[in-house]
Amino acid sequence: MSTILQSLNLLITRGLPTTILLTLGLLALGLLLGFPIAFLQVYGPRPVRWFCRGYEQVFRGVPAIVLILLFHSGLSRTFHILLPAFVSALLALALRSSAYQSQIFRGAIQSVSEGQMLAARSVGMSKVRAIRHVILPQAFRLSIPSWTNEFSSVLKDTSLASAIGVLELMKQATLIFTRVQFIRGAQWILVILILVALVYWILTFVGNTALGYLEKRTRIPGFEMKGQVER
Amino acid sequence: MKKASLVILALALGSLAFSAVAETYKVASDTTWPPFEWADAEGNLLGFDLDVMRCIGVLQGFEIEITSYDWDIIFDDVGSGRMDIGASGATITDAREEKVDFSTPYWTSDQAILVHVDSGLNIVTALAGGYTVGAQVETTGAGFVAELIEAGIDVNLTEYTLYPLAVLDLINGNIDAVIQDEPASVASATAEPLIQVAGVIKTNENFGFFVAEGDPNGLLALINDGVAQLKALGAYDNLIAAYMGTDLVKVEAAWKASIGLLEGGDVAGFAAQLAELANQ
Repeated sequence: MSTILQSLNLLITRGLPTTILLTLGLLALGLLLGFPIAFLQVYGPRPVRWFCRGYEQVFRGVPAIVLILLFHSGLSRTFHILLPAFVSALLALALRSSAYQSQIFRGAIQSVSEGQMLAARSVGMSKVRAIRHVILPQAFRLSIPSWTNEFSSVLKDTSLASAIGVLELMKQATLIFTRVQFIRGAQWILVILILVALVYWILTFVGNTALGYLEKRTRIPGFEMKGQVER
Repeated sequence: MKKASLVILALALGSLAFSAVAETYKVASDTTWPPFEWADAEGNLLGFDLDVMRCIGVLQGFEIEITSYDWDIIFDDVGSGRMDIGASGATITDAREEKVDFSTPYWTSDQAILVHVDSGLNIVTALAGGYTVGAQVETTGAGFVAELIEAGIDVNLTEYTLYPLAVLDLINGNIDAVIQDEPASVASATAEPLIQVAGVIKTNENFGFFVAEGDPNGLLALINDGVAQLKALGAYDNLIAAYMGTDLVKVEAAWKASIGLLEGGDVAGFAAQLAELANQ
């Protein structure tokens, strides 16, 4: 039992902060990059739209681990830029998240019905004001469920950062079980893996609950899409 | 985001302050390999390789910062200069010489074969009877079995990212044998009643510490000289006595009790006390 408590303690004090920092950091960076891309992909001139489409195709198509290794080893070998491992992982995963998030926002913007834009224009709003005051707030609401998905997915992707030496949850777990198996036996590897799975699950649950609360708060009664109505 | 940049700023400032005092070198180590390098229950990194490095640092007047690294990229990252020193029970091979520069050998090791106690396999049958042998990726053990396969011998190789996963598979009967350096194999067999060492293959491998190609920081001379000094002091033998064949939990307690001595600059005292407490 003390092994379990010791391991949990190590996981939480040494691995968890880095995982949370990495997750929040990359989601924020992804948002900062992804939202403009989405916006430009919907409202920009054609060459800009093509660029955005290319961007999201590339960064959604390359496996996360490849991106991480490219940022880490590729940059250092080819351009002699040495980034700390945490930063390499953050940037690589943030770029990838920005591609996914741009598609979430694009979908949300485009699903606000055309009628809203027409109505806004007909009361005298310019296109820009219509977008800012009518379309985007609704798009924000509509993007929350998909964004919750992105959060859940990205949280687990941070474990890939362990490949370049970032001491986050998964790496900490491997350090723990490689020791524990000598002291308590190899079957304890499974115990440690279950513990770390539990920690990830709790993180996902907390995040999803918080985002679910946000979803409820921004709900407009009588204005939902089919299937959203509370029974 | 703000938190991240504050942390990074603090780390940058912290490391700047540190380097103003003494040269700090970044040591990369795959800390999943007792007794050469591992993390204890509180996250302290200890082990034969790491303590030898720490002692050399004290003797030669530089600080070290040890990072747990994945074995897969350790040679690339030390070779490219991202990390300054590699201390990770690395066998000196020609292929690795192309990426990094090695110190003079500081340890000789052989490979051992682990089998399940009920399997009735010995070292010959395990390697030539069509069985499956597990090894960690990119280790000399894996290379050994790969060479056997190329020579036409009837054996299969399964590679794992971590040695303990191979041992787990062996215990559960998913593979028939595991090949790994002798000290780690012996430690595993001691901890697990269900597996045993079937035999030792005298490969006479030499471990070396390694640095970036061309040794830009001039570290190899310091390391080689440091090892020589440790041997002259008797501290090297004490470290061997402390780490090889001892109980992991005892060594960890001994280390926590003795590390203060090393931080105070007393290399010989640290090694002596470590050996004494670990063997009680």
